[in-house]
Amino acid sequence: MDRGMVIIVGALLTFASSWLGLVLLPYRQLQNQQPYTASPGDDPYPRQLSEKALAGVGVYSANGCLYCHSQQVRSARFGNWWEGGEMKTGADIRRGWGNRRTVSRDYLHDRPTLLGTMRTGPDLANVGSRYSPAWQHQHLFNPRSFNAWSTMPSFAFLYRREPVEGGKRAETALRLGREWTVNPGYRWRPTDEEWDRILASQPGLADALKAANPGHFDVATPEGKARLLDFWLTTEEADHQVVPTADADHLVAYLLELRKAETPLPEAKE
Amino acid sequence: MGVTLTPPTPADRAQAARERREIDSSCRGPVLHYAASAVAWLLVGTTLAVVASVKLHSPYFLTGSEYLTFGRVRMAHLQAVGIGWSAMAGMGGACWLMCRLSRATLLYPKLLHVAAGLWNVGMVANVLGILAGHGRSVEWLDSPPYVAPFLVASIGIFSVWTAATFVRRREPHVYVTQWYILAAVFWFPVLYLVTVGMIFWVRSTGVMQMVVNWWFGHNYLGLWLTPMGVGAAYYLIPKIIGRPVHSYYLSIIGFWALALFYSWAGIHHLIGGPIPAWLATASTVGSMMMFIPVIAVAINHHMTMLGSFHVLRYSPALRFTVFGAMTYTAVSFQGSIESLKDFSEVAHFTHYTVAHAHLGAYGFFTMVMFGLFYYMIPRLTGREWFSARLISLHFWCDAVGISIYFVSLTVGGWWQGRMLNDPNVPFGNIVEYVRPYLFTRSVAGCLMGVGHVAFALLLVANLAGWGRKRGIGPAYFVAPAGKPAAGEPAPV
Repeated sequence: MDRGMVIIVGALLTFASSWLGLVLLPYRQLQNQQPYTASPGDDPYPRQLSEKALAGVGVYSANGCLYCHSQQVRSARFGNWWEGGEMKTGADIRRGWGNRRTVSRDYLHDRPTLLGTMRTGPDLANVGSRYSPAWQHQHLFNPRSFNAWSTMPSFAFLYRREPVEGGKRAETALRLGREWTVNPGYRWRPTDEEWDRILASQPGLADALKAANPGHFDVATPEGKARLLDFWLTTEEADHQVVPTADADHLVAYLLELRKAETPLPEAKE
Repeated sequence: MGVTLTPPTPADRAQAARERREIDSSCRGPVLHYAASAVAWLLVGTTLAVVASVKLHSPYFLTGSEYLTFGRVRMAHLQAVGIGWSAMAGMGGACWLMCRLSRATLLYPKLLHVAAGLWNVGMVANVLGILAGHGRSVEWLDSPPYVAPFLVASIGIFSVWTAATFVRRREPHVYVTQWYILAAVFWFPVLYLVTVGMIFWVRSTGVMQMVVNWWFGHNYLGLWLTPMGVGAAYYLIPKIIGRPVHSYYLSIIGFWALALFYSWAGIHHLIGGPIPAWLATASTVGSMMMFIPVIAVAINHHMTMLGSFHVLRYSPALRFTVFGAMTYTAVSFQGSIESLKDFSEVAHFTHYTVAHAHLGAYGFFTMVMFGLFYYMIPRLTGREWFSARLISLHFWCDAVGISIYFVSLTVGGWWQGRMLNDPNVPFGNIVEYVRPYLFTRSVAGCLMGVGHVAFALLLVANLAGWGRKRGIGPAYFVAPAGKPAAGEPAPV
């Protein structure tokens, strides 16, 4: 046989062996998996995502959330640490990332499946059980408004800063201090001169702040003024509000429906 | 092997040189097209890499822009360096090596220009599409849906042309480099089509997509980049030092063992994940078996070099290639060990894996490609590199850069993994702990970027015809022992 044919046929055979073993066999094994129903009449698990959440999957994958957040809870035998002279296992579950390990059935309806391979941030398999919608919105808008140490990007571009119409705030508007909302994505703080100008232009402001935050400080001194500024920055802007766009709503809807490690499954028992 | 050859006469040598010039001139256009595009993608990819890297430790850097949010830049970076630079560098090099080793001219070079053009169009759509928010978050396959047709058409042309060149060979002996290239141009298109088909068209259920995803992700490196990198090193090392490969039989074992075992290795990326346990075990076995081809190749590359290390002092092409070949041995050993469950338990989900991936894709593959370019391009353009100092700058920036990169993320990533496995460590502490290591990585990335700019300058200068004409000796770091720096005619 020609040398070239040997190489091509050999390459084909070795390649086919791995395709058969690593792709076709598991494909056949997993292909007919069905949702689980604990007893007749119960809702099958996993449920299909709502339409909003499905749109949220698109936002999640377009922005590469997967590159910092996994969606898989590892087994109670995985992840070990020493505690009181004893080796313990099951770090993922102990961190509160899920009640049990996730198994293939949890991902039945996922497309794309967003398992992830990196934990720069915490695992999100069960994040829907941990936080409220308001928390999610504020955290996405600027994660550092909750955790100063967070290195997660701000997703302020999923939100709109707009003037308040007719003095009435939208119900969905974020309840955040002006330090986070004046310059979305950043933490804003005026310089001393700017702060002086703001105080001068709003005569009642200093007194109102002082009244709302009783304590021993002298607003005439620089320290006192800086302290006043700290109070002012945590108050909401009166004339502007930050509201989620449809994308932000969808993303949060998806995050809230992420509850992969709750419903008991027989095969997840260990 | 016990074959005695009659030494070639001067007339034979002249005839062989004429033939080589003829072959080089037939493939000059497309190979330079591929090479120049590759370097352009390298610069794009490096820029994206630095942006993404800085964002990881300084979240306020370029925040507020939806196009430059970390996740998108991260995807665009991988596509630019993985599918842009690496694949195009490999294809350009493979085309030239195949022509040279088959002693065949390239037929209809214009068609390969079309192939390179299609790949470039696909890549522009790929990177811009991802930044615009069309990325798909399937690792290694993040490209928007409209990109695949360009890549498939391009690789289709390229593969057929490479095979056609091989079929037209006039050299009866088939060298090991040709095996690797021939197998790679067959593997990659099939791999790509099967994967895209099974993830996006057939719509496999849940975790099955991830299994196919990692089968692809690992094989992209194992069956596409590695064969081209190893193949190029097999060509360059003996050629530059003027000695035959240490063992012909070992090269056969190395090739077939790689073909068989590497393709089985990918699923260890999902150890501990929600997949059938036997799958991860099968892949761990494949990964451990990789010791065989890696050791075979290591013996062959390093034993060939034995006694010729002084050449590293002056030959740029050899220095890059040997750096890459040595890294290949190291990174493959590390990879096999990483596939073990106990090791993976810590290293998985951390920057440790990122360090490993860069050691492979950069320390090995990219460095070998640099070596190949330094050797190949002067032979195609007829110009020497205009500054040995700039080559030296390129080498040291890259070698030191990847070393810092690897050490910082390996150490930081390992402890990140240890802390993740201890639920008593609050998550915020882990984030703060890793930050200085990520900052160090950004510095290393900038250093590598400086090297890439130096390389791009050299390439532009060479293509623009600013270097010395070939014929009075290549650009060496220092004058080789016993030879004047420039004087003797260079081997063509």
